Amino acid sequence: MKLAGTVTLPAPPSEVWSLLTDAPRLSRLLPGCEQLEPDGPDRYKAAVKFGIAAISGKYAGTLEFAEKKPPHSLILKLDGKGLPGFVKGEGRIELTPKGDTTEIAYTGEAHVGGLIASVGQRMLDAAARKIVQQFFDSAKAELESTKGAAAEPNSPVKAHRKGN
Amino acid sequence: MTTRYIGKPLKRKEDPRLIQGISHYVDDLNLAGMHYAAFLRSPHAHANIRSVDLSKARHASGVVLALSGADIDGAIQPVPCAAQIPDMKSAARPVLARDRVRFVGEAVAVVVASDRYAARDALDLIEVDYEPLTPIVNPEKAIAKGATPLHAGHKDNVAFKWELEGGDLKAAFKSADKVIRQRLVNQRLIPVPIETRGVIADYQPGEGQLTVWSATQIPHLLRTQIASMLNFPETLVRVVAPEVGGGFGSKLNVYPEEALVAYLAIQLGKPVKWSESRRENFQATIHGRDQIDDVEVAVKRDGSILGLRCHVIADLGAYYQLLTPLIPTLTGLMMTGCYKIPAARMEITGVFTNKMATDAYRGAGRPEATYLIERVMDLVAAELKKDPVEVRRKNFPQPNDFPYATPTGLIYDSGDYEKALDMALKVADYKKLRQEQAKLRKEGRYMGIGVSTYVEICGMGPSSAMPAGGWESATVRVEPTGRVSVMTGSSPHGQGQETTFAQMGADVLGIDPSQFQVVHGDTSIVPYGIGTFGSRATAVGGTAVYKSLLKVKEKLAHIAAHLVGSDPERMVFADGKISAKESPKKSVAFGQAVSAAYVAKTLPADMEPGLEATTFFEPSNFTYPFGTHICVVEIDREIGDVKLVRYVAVDDCGNVLNPLLVEGQVQGGIVQSVGQALFEEAVYDEQGQLITGELMDYALPHASDLCWIETARTVTPTPVNPLGVKGVGEAGTIGATPALAGAVADALAPFGVHHVDMPFKREKIWQLMRKSSGRVQ
Amino acid sequence: MIPASFEYHAPKTLDEALRLVERHGDEAKLLAGGHSLLPLMKLRLAAPRYVIDIGHLRGMSYIREENGQIAIGALTTHSEIEHSELLAAKCPLLPQTAAQIGDVQVRNRGTIGGSLAHADPGGDYPAAILALDAEIIAANTSGTRTIPARDFFVDMLTTQLHPGEILTQIRIAPRPPQSGTAYEKLHQPASGFAIVGVAANVLLGNGRKAIERAAIGITGLAAKAFRAEAVERALNGKTISDKVIEDASRNAAQGVEPLSDLHASGEYRREMARVFTRRAIARAIEAARGVSRGGV
Repeated sequence: MKLAGTVTLPAPPSEVWSLLTDAPRLSRLLPGCEQLEPDGPDRYKAAVKFGIAAISGKYAGTLEFAEKKPPHSLILKLDGKGLPGFVKGEGRIELTPKGDTTEIAYTGEAHVGGLIASVGQRMLDAAARKIVQQFFDSAKAELESTKGAAAEPNSPVKAHRKGN
Repeated sequence: MTTRYIGKPLKRKEDPRLIQGISHYVDDLNLAGMHYAAFLRSPHAHANIRSVDLSKARHASGVVLALSGADIDGAIQPVPCAAQIPDMKSAARPVLARDRVRFVGEAVAVVVASDRYAARDALDLIEVDYEPLTPIVNPEKAIAKGATPLHAGHKDNVAFKWELEGGDLKAAFKSADKVIRQRLVNQRLIPVPIETRGVIADYQPGEGQLTVWSATQIPHLLRTQIASMLNFPETLVRVVAPEVGGGFGSKLNVYPEEALVAYLAIQLGKPVKWSESRRENFQATIHGRDQIDDVEVAVKRDGSILGLRCHVIADLGAYYQLLTPLIPTLTGLMMTGCYKIPAARMEITGVFTNKMATDAYRGAGRPEATYLIERVMDLVAAELKKDPVEVRRKNFPQPNDFPYATPTGLIYDSGDYEKALDMALKVADYKKLRQEQAKLRKEGRYMGIGVSTYVEICGMGPSSAMPAGGWESATVRVEPTGRVSVMTGSSPHGQGQETTFAQMGADVLGIDPSQFQVVHGDTSIVPYGIGTFGSRATAVGGTAVYKSLLKVKEKLAHIAAHLVGSDPERMVFADGKISAKESPKKSVAFGQAVSAAYVAKTLPADMEPGLEATTFFEPSNFTYPFGTHICVVEIDREIGDVKLVRYVAVDDCGNVLNPLLVEGQVQGGIVQSVGQALFEEAVYDEQGQLITGELMDYALPHASDLCWIETARTVTPTPVNPLGVKGVGEAGTIGATPALAGAVADALAPFGVHHVDMPFKREKIWQLMRKSSGRVQ
Repeated sequence: MIPASFEYHAPKTLDEALRLVERHGDEAKLLAGGHSLLPLMKLRLAAPRYVIDIGHLRGMSYIREENGQIAIGALTTHSEIEHSELLAAKCPLLPQTAAQIGDVQVRNRGTIGGSLAHADPGGDYPAAILALDAEIIAANTSGTRTIPARDFFVDMLTTQLHPGEILTQIRIAPRPPQSGTAYEKLHQPASGFAIVGVAANVLLGNGRKAIERAAIGITGLAAKAFRAEAVERALNGKTISDKVIEDASRNAAQGVEPLSDLHASGEYRREMARVFTRRAIARAIEAARGVSRGGV
């Protein structure tokens, strides 16, 4: 499964960079992230609950940063497993300044195995896209709220989830 | 013998109980104190197992036993493979993976609990530490240089190479006017019987008796194999195949669960049941087909075929099942189809990949052969701009050529291929179809006509050509009340032999079919037999029944003649009486003669009491049914949808015991072919995940996808057995796929397309038409 | 195929059911026909703690006229909709759609409320509901609210329904004279779900020569069903011709990101949306003309 796209975030690359590479803040962007703890340099233990409507599952695994070139690009590696199967993915994120904002170009590939791979075909692509969209929506919200309320840089931002 | 019942469309004796849901499949059986097994299966296609932690599962509520591969090391032999090819490498499937898993769905651990919910819940508590390895999914990449071997000790992923050559191939290709080459892919299929597999095992420690109920096509072979795998006395093993809800070859096998559930029952001293889920059935019950054929044909300008050469890559999956390596060799044997082709050569490379094993699936190697040769005939016709019918006709052997020896070493028993072809052309009104096609093309509508003339191998025997016995057994016992028990070594699971054997018995003994009880599937009741597969239950099993019936009849003739004072040779069996030809007064009721055999006071001198006969029948040759199928499709230009418009099938399976059942077999087989042609495909992604993992994504044909199937028959009896029957269980599947493929290619001819690989999914067809729409002729 | 354990409730009244969903919130799932929920549970993709079986609630399965509208109870089966004479006369699009859902067994068991609340991206009803501008009635313990169909579908498997709410009724305005409807579907051969399903609802004017108003609902193409407004704009007020219909249909996938899966790529889905939109519009026009010729 391949994912690619661009998104514009309302802050300069340096700010976006610090958001994406700061574990506590990052954990709030990841949909369903329940835990993100350091596990070595640029490596975190993660516990995530992914799901859409009634379909959901808990995954435990690692999140890793590689080839960090602040504030230009980095590679994000995910490796998790849970009862519904396992996910292994790698994505490259590039940050380009656009005025006061940052254009993010991402390309990635994820391998999904186990139950979700064998029975979830119909929904997988759309679900992955949705998760990416939620992630960047949250990033936007986080950056906007930081802008608006500089006094509370770490104010929790809920993932923007419609319905349900 | 008068044929009052043979050849008549009697309704199936089996159906009332099946339709009402009042008979018993494995999962319907429940024993007191029964426990339930559940298997943890690998989510990885290829991985080392670092550890399996069962501690939490073992402590879960209701769990009585949890075992990993390490726990049963050496206790259970791996899954047997009966097919032997010279120099083939070993690749035995362990009943539980020990150090490495090689396909998604391979069992890693088993849990037994007091109910099936607890067993399933406990699976979630097992922790397996896998070290994922690169999966090898594509068979061509698997044998490319540098590919890592799946199995330790192998230098590559080539399981075996097999060759067959007959005739002067060099000369054929040298004198050819044209050589046509094509790659053909026979995709991987999932058999999907309605009933998934299931096993119950019960062990009585006092008696040492092990009873195994399994959804199997081969109860006796399974009994022998369970005894071997567990090193358990075969005499104390009883295998029962109760109602079996379809097999299509997928239950012509021995599976890890069958031995393991038996082992668990012995360990626990409690009955243990395992019922396969549909998802498990998709992942861990054998698959079918999966061949890549590179074919070359040498032809003369007039359409005569001089030689055929083919290299097959057979994707065997990760391990051998019972007959895995044998299946593609059947393709080799049948590669010249129903044509006189003087020279042929087949090379097969069997390849290991990280997938479930392939094995016998309805037709088993022969649908691939028919597909291969029939596609070749169509390609030759297209290349030479000839009618596909004429190219076929040109190469047929004539009726007086039979028995006909093929360059692949087979001897076709009997045939009249042109007769079946002509009948099909007439029923379909082929000429008119071609006119209609021309007219529609002018309107921008794409109708295609496909023709397949096929021959296949049925009546699997003799033993010299089979991996484990090419004979069948039957015992006929006339009970003291005059009712007749027919114990057959065949193991019908939908074929209807309870009806046809009764019809046969009724005609031989002159009594009503309702007097017969055909007993099968229980190794403690029926004599050792081989089983039901390869369209053999009637041709081989039926002949054994017939011969036993004749033996019983002869004894009855002697008894009756003795009672009425006549000559045994002159006794006639009809209407429940045994009478002397010369005088209707010299007659005795059937039951009276039977009674005499048991009461044993009035028997002829030197005659043993009782009325029972057993026969082990081995045919001298296979049988070779044949026929012609014609298929008409129309393709929706905008969508790529292939719609079946007409289907005509003329099949010749020799003599027919019950035309209703033959009709059902033909129709069912054709529909299964429609499945392969239009819809079905087991798709593994590049990571070896089976992504068509459920019926949500693996498409089977629905009634609404079909058209009416028009059937007709020619009758060319076989000399191989006294009944003259050939077998019809797989004919539809073997004959139909190429007709469908031919029709689709024919419909697409205006787009410059002459071959499309199956399945003909809409988007694939749509893309083809779109790509070449500039070139529409 | 054994679900994780759950607590089963079979309320006897709607009020009781509403109290249960209020208490258990998103830990509860409602069971109606069960065709979507049970497979998910058997595969353990879904493991709700509470299953509230509303399948036996009385008085939630009906098709009737109410204050000039047609009201359909949430538990009405596809089969009942398919064979309803009232709907055939006043809202034929729903029977046309229902007849193309799954197979007979599915239609005998599945319910319109369950199907809409599940909001499967390949579900059939959403297209029809959108094209009809239907209203969806949702209840909770404090009352009911009305959700226009256009707002109802939020995303894949996600609707405007809140935890604690139960979809109770669908309301539709009866078909005006000179209107026609059609549902055209390309089904996924394994599951029967729509790869693309297009519901067209057209109102003719100018002596049946022009389209006064068109409403087009499309399902299967994207993560959620939607109204193809660009198609509608290209039709509204236009004199009917093959070209007008063809040109309008080209906008079917405008602005949507098509789904892509094993059965159909995004590219193919997009093209099929065009083809089936054209076919649906043409058939809806035919129906509108046929009906008016019949003498309303």
